Amino acid sequence: MDRDENYICRCEEVTEDEIRTAIRGGARSVKEIKRWTRSGMGICQGRTCRRLVERILAEELGLAPGEVESSSFRPPVRPVSLDSMDGSRDPSTHGSGG
Amino acid sequence: MTIRADTAVLGAGVNGMSTAYELCRRGRSVVLVDKVVMGAGASGSCDDMILLQSKKPGILLEMAFRSLELFRDLQGELPCDIEFDTRGGTILIETPEELAVMEDFVARQNKYGLAVEIVDARRLRELQPHVTDRVIASTYSARDSQVNPMLLMKGFFLGASAKGLTFLRRSRPESLTPRNGRWEIKLSTGETLETGTVVNATGAWANEISGLLGLRFPIAPRKGQVLVTEQLPPLGETNVWSAQYIVSKLRPAGTSAPGAASWMSGPEEARTAAGYGLGFAFTGTHSGNYLIGSTRENAGYDKATDPEALGLLARQVIHYFPVMKDVHFIRTFAGLRPSTPDGMPVIGEVPGFPGFFMAAGHEGDGIALSPITGRVAADLVEGRKPEFSLESFRPERFLEGQGDLDEAASG
Repeated sequence: MDRDENYICRCEEVTEDEIRTAIRGGARSVKEIKRWTRSGMGICQGRTCRRLVERILAEELGLAPGEVESSSFRPPVRPVSLDSMDGSRDPSTHGSGG
Repeated sequence: MTIRADTAVLGAGVNGMSTAYELCRRGRSVVLVDKVVMGAGASGSCDDMILLQSKKPGILLEMAFRSLELFRDLQGELPCDIEFDTRGGTILIETPEELAVMEDFVARQNKYGLAVEIVDARRLRELQPHVTDRVIASTYSARDSQVNPMLLMKGFFLGASAKGLTFLRRSRPESLTPRNGRWEIKLSTGETLETGTVVNATGAWANEISGLLGLRFPIAPRKGQVLVTEQLPPLGETNVWSAQYIVSKLRPAGTSAPGAASWMSGPEEARTAAGYGLGFAFTGTHSGNYLIGSTRENAGYDKATDPEALGLLARQVIHYFPVMKDVHFIRTFAGLRPSTPDGMPVIGEVPGFPGFFMAAGHEGDGIALSPITGRVAADLVEGRKPEFSLESFRPERFLEGQGDLDEAASG
């Protein structure tokens, strides 16, 4: 498959080509790649693309995959409705409604 | 290895990168250093607003005007799109008391040349069709704008790189030594920098650098928690804040907090909200995600988000925009804004340390003021007279009686 057709981040439609271009342009960390390309900033928050981006970064920089620093994980784990965050209730006991 | 350059810029946030870009543009050799990566501090954990309305009439508003002009230039000049946009801004007013305060504030801003007016509920609903009926009026300025901070940093970086910028990430300065009229900086990576000048643009971490010289500025982290929603169709035209947010921002330290907002359960929740420094800032990004902020907390360097604060933010946005009830949020984050006791940044050469410059402490104005900060910092480095008087930002205002200041910085 061509790298310009290979979608790494499906939520934000970021291709392998775009990831490699960012790295070659100077984005040398997962955080920087994310901020330049929006890879991992979509509805799934990088569930699929996080590891793929790390792998491409390792490849481009000649590192072992384990040597690549991951981007940060932040709540929520899945999309949560704003309504379920009512401060008078315990948010951990409420579903997302979605 | 020793790297020689004209200037070392410490901190790859938006102000460090703007300074590095401007110096590179002027043909100077620059090495930019960050202990983490680009935008790891406040610049990568903030919203996208360039607010004129929130600026106190005075030098900050003047500099914000100038920044707005520079943003327009940067939009064409930088190698990538920075999503600069002028959509205007509205500050929602819910009570006659808030209206009185905002009328006065607007009058002062008008005198200072900012085009802003009070609009009635009907006009507000044209700009923001989904706003709650409880809002009785609003301010409106067509000049409030937006920029994508991530792309702005990318643009500064690519622009500077094209002019020869050296960037060292994951490199922490461990010593800073004046030597023969130049500066020697030893980095955690084992590398040494030798430069003519040093700019400290490390935001909330400024004292990690200044401390290497035995200097301590009362620049303290203020945590702002933000919710990010799923992508939505545009809800309205403008950026939105509440008058409460402006009151919170302008309120001098130590004065009493405002009473409970109409959506709060009572005085107890009002106290909780005040403890978080809760304000309302609501903006739609180019990608369609809405950012819902924000708190303004003294929480040290902890960047965690917590359910109590997020709950307040969620309830607050549902109050102002009931349509948000069923919207999902997909992420939360917190940024550490570098605050100072007088609300002014610290920009200038530090007396007794020729060639060492501060450019930090912008709190929530860092993105908005980054173009002009880069310009004036570059002027200072080059020994030119900056286009603005930097009198209000002088580092020495915080350096008298250092002993007393330690307390202010940690408080």
